[in-house]
Amino acid sequence: MNQEIAQPEEHLNEWIYEPNPGFYDEMLAADGTVRPHWRKLIEPLAAMGGAGFARRWQEGRRLIHENGTTYNVYSDPRNTDRPWPVDPIPLVLDRLEWAAIESAIIQRATLLNAILADLYGSQRLLRDGLVPPELVFPNPAFLRPCSHIPVPGGVYLHIYAADLARAPDGRWWVIADRTQAPSGAGYALENRLVSARVLPDIFRSAHIHRLATFFQTYRETLRSLAPGHKENPRIVLLTPGPYNETYFEHAFLSRYLGYTLVEGADLTVRDNRVFLKTLRGLLPVDLIVRRQDDTYCDPLELRGDSMLGVPGLMQAVRSGTVTVANALGSGLVESAAPASFLPGLCRHILGEEIKMPAVATWWCGEEPALSYVAEHLSKLVIKPAFPSPGMQPIFGVRLSEEERAALIAKIRKSPGSYVAQEQVALSTVPVWEDGPVRPRHLVLRVYAVACGDSYSVMPGGLTRITSSLDDLVVSMQSGGGSKDTWVVAGAPTSQLSLLPSATSRMDISRATFDLPSRVADNLFWLGRYVERIEPAVRVARAVLPRLFQESDLSAAAAVAAGMRVLAGLGSIRTETQSADHHFGSLEHEVLALIYDSRSRNNLPSHIRQVRRVAWLLRDRISGDAWRVLNQLDQQLSSPPPPEPLRISGAQAVLDQSITTLSAFSGLVMESMTRGDGWRFLDIGRRLERAVQMVDLIRYGLGYECSTDSGQLEVLLEIADSSITYRSRYLTTMQADLVLDLLLLDEANPRSVAYQLARLREHVDALPASRSLIRRPAEARTAISLLAAVQLAEVRDFMCVNSEGRRDQLESLLNRITGDLRLLSEALTREYFSQAGPTRQLSMP
Amino acid sequence: MMLRASHTTTYLYSDQVSICHTEVHLAPRDDRNQHVLEHSLTVDPMPDMMFGHKDYFGNDVMYFSIHEPHPTLTITAESVIEIAQADPLEPALTPAWEQALGPEWRNSDFHALKAYQFVFESPRITLGPEFADYAAPSFTADRPLLEAAVDLSHRIYKEFHYDKEATTVVTPVTELLESRRGVCQDFAHFMIACLRSAGLAARYVSGYLRTGGGIGSEASHAWISVFCPGFGWLDLDPTNDTLVNGNHVTLAWGRDYSDVAPVHGVALGGGEQVINVAVKVAAVEE
Repeated sequence: MNQEIAQPEEHLNEWIYEPNPGFYDEMLAADGTVRPHWRKLIEPLAAMGGAGFARRWQEGRRLIHENGTTYNVYSDPRNTDRPWPVDPIPLVLDRLEWAAIESAIIQRATLLNAILADLYGSQRLLRDGLVPPELVFPNPAFLRPCSHIPVPGGVYLHIYAADLARAPDGRWWVIADRTQAPSGAGYALENRLVSARVLPDIFRSAHIHRLATFFQTYRETLRSLAPGHKENPRIVLLTPGPYNETYFEHAFLSRYLGYTLVEGADLTVRDNRVFLKTLRGLLPVDLIVRRQDDTYCDPLELRGDSMLGVPGLMQAVRSGTVTVANALGSGLVESAAPASFLPGLCRHILGEEIKMPAVATWWCGEEPALSYVAEHLSKLVIKPAFPSPGMQPIFGVRLSEEERAALIAKIRKSPGSYVAQEQVALSTVPVWEDGPVRPRHLVLRVYAVACGDSYSVMPGGLTRITSSLDDLVVSMQSGGGSKDTWVVAGAPTSQLSLLPSATSRMDISRATFDLPSRVADNLFWLGRYVERIEPAVRVARAVLPRLFQESDLSAAAAVAAGMRVLAGLGSIRTETQSADHHFGSLEHEVLALIYDSRSRNNLPSHIRQVRRVAWLLRDRISGDAWRVLNQLDQQLSSPPPPEPLRISGAQAVLDQSITTLSAFSGLVMESMTRGDGWRFLDIGRRLERAVQMVDLIRYGLGYECSTDSGQLEVLLEIADSSITYRSRYLTTMQADLVLDLLLLDEANPRSVAYQLARLREHVDALPASRSLIRRPAEARTAISLLAAVQLAEVRDFMCVNSEGRRDQLESLLNRITGDLRLLSEALTREYFSQAGPTRQLSMP
Repeated sequence: MMLRASHTTTYLYSDQVSICHTEVHLAPRDDRNQHVLEHSLTVDPMPDMMFGHKDYFGNDVMYFSIHEPHPTLTITAESVIEIAQADPLEPALTPAWEQALGPEWRNSDFHALKAYQFVFESPRITLGPEFADYAAPSFTADRPLLEAAVDLSHRIYKEFHYDKEATTVVTPVTELLESRRGVCQDFAHFMIACLRSAGLAARYVSGYLRTGGGIGSEASHAWISVFCPGFGWLDLDPTNDTLVNGNHVTLAWGRDYSDVAPVHGVALGGGEQVINVAVKVAAVEE
């Protein structure tokens, strides 16, 4: 081709490989030289060198890890989420080639949209014989309740995605359409954030098209298609929930686009309108961006077996009070079967030839196609004609002679249910993994959003790669990876990002207005779970070093006190708390508290709770807070170090987690907007801290014997109040002084009184406390609790009964514990009202 | 003849239901054999809103929701219908059943195209050679369609037991082949499976039978309809081994029960539920 390219390129050796002759390689021409548009990437990479690149990639991986970018794998028994697999080398596409892809995608999206409008409307295509009724009537994706429903602007497909594959001759083919709720646009964006961070210099100098405009168009389109033409319609993003494989993306996109992330249970239909249930009552919803399949959107009319959706949604749509994007029923054109009819439909509807054909597809419902398929099965991929969950494509080439015969027999039984597609020899692209580069197959997912009466294509996309060169299918579910997609622009591109900058990412500002009740509930529990970690960490940290001072009597008493507290908290077995027990087994207990993940009250189980509820709040937690929680998770879920280091390792873990917990508190105090979200998080923390403090006092000061100075010291240490105490009373250790500081002193941020005072303020500021003549139950409880502590006298509590117990103290502590439980229940009733699951009425 | 139909469905819950969304197919259809003179629907407790529309098959659907906690739900439909006594069709005069096979007529006009959708599987009715085999003895070569269908209906009537305990609303049609027992809904589903597996268009009809007019009159009833090009839809009641006559009132039709369930809904809460259905259909004295 070009003289200069034909030169041997030794400096690129690290970055190229032997192209496989049976496949098109994205980077290398057939003669092994680097294609011109890849040079902008490869030359600087070569200059950087493999080692330099590896260092940068290290940084990129850290970013992914800290952002918590994940993809849920349904069948992964270890965990529900695992890091999003991204490869640092982007796929590079040339400007002219991209222009062709772009116009083909616009055409296809327009065409599919028109087909939907027809099939859910007048059905002229069926009447005129252009679409066989066999593809529509028996198709479970043809949702009859969606016929003739209002579709604002005639837009069924607000966003559309196509999976493209490049054949050995260099041509792109469509291998699948995604028309209901295409996933991956958010991951494409996340991949871009990573690649721009790993390769900032190259990214800038290569003039790569930005993605932000695409999302801006999407947002603008949605705004314009909400009913009522409001300036600022309320738009929500409906997710099936945290167990969905792409939940991370839902959370990410909702934050990026500025929409509230909701689950079906957050919405309710009244008077033909959809409402969001929030702390401040029902707020009308104008548009729902749905990330769940058609049939799961309304259990009343669309017959999802699951209860994920919003009962009555169809009725609201029918009344025209809400827009659903993509329109309900859009899954009809997602199935493979219509692909073979698209060229004809394109001529008929748009009056033009189809620009990018789908890979050759035979619908077995027609006799000539069926016999072709039977003869050529070894070269074909068999797929269901209609959506059928769980059925994987079958590759003829992989079947034995008998298996093929069996498959053909099965197809002949119900030919209309199958399609066969030519198997495309997918092109290859360099992949880094851990270096050096090697080729892998790819499928490119491209996206288009409706824009006026046409479509606008994302300049880039989600490139997905196979897990090995022998792999025939690209699947995130089974271990494939992904990469960024760079479309080289002719000129420098403009900067635009919708993401709030890192410093303002601690959001929850919008939480002040439309905080869904479910989210408030989760924030409350996040506060409680995080706070539950600290006392256990502090007790363990106080006890552990003292275990090695056996001769020291005060240390022994301190250990006994600490163990009593731990036993009281349910963190260790009670039988080990006896004072004469051997220290070796106490050590074992404390280590189990830190490392044993089986028990319910140990640190690993506490952190699991935090992780679970934090994941539910993925869209509400700032990047910084997420990183802090991630760090805490790592510290507390790491396996125990080998024996000689076990004690020192444990101490280090405890010290670190105290620091990390403080960082979290700091973020909550300094970075969260003082809205309802913050308030519920802090109510959870205060309530839990009060509960824990009361327990600490109960087990640490409830008995006469607990006057030993070693014991008092350890209590102060656990309560993080040693310094305050010393500054007031110097070295004199006195039980009544300690009790005053931990229980009654409102100035001590660790005291019970302090927590109760904060709780009272919070409860007074909640919506239900504002406009009522009669105070709600939670407010009354908070007031009486605080008063009880404010009126208490320390000296009354020091009296000991005949059993050696301070029973007056005990009765106050019991009252506080009981009232805190009442407070928690009252809040739950008033604000969270966790409704039970909906279900079908039995049918007559 | 004028018939008055009264249909009451009562749900009793062990716990309160806080919210329910319900859809009912309880209004009789107007068609060439019946004319609806009066219809009313009463729901207790009073729904927050009620809204009617026509479904894909042209049936009247009423949607309502209740947002107040309620321990019971009572839905009462009252209708007065004028039934035209159509001249009985002579089965031997209908065309050979082979001419009624879907591909023969599907493209003839838009009505035929609409009928063609009833050739396929539907949510509650699977197809298969086992059903075609069951139908085969009735569908001998060149036999007039209605004659063959009446014969099939007769065989089902003879070979199946009417048994209210044997099935539920979700019993799959394949199970009926084995058990050969069920209620009118099962008889209808089974016969439709046979007709469709033989390549014919058949739909499910939900309605009432005049009280005392045969099996299934004390609750909502169901039968089938088969498409005959040139003649239209022909109704047969396999539960009673009869052509549909002046004793039947049509409420709605669809592909199977799931399209036209008289009442179906989604509730929040409620615990255990007990359901009672009472239907009375009697002639109105003129």
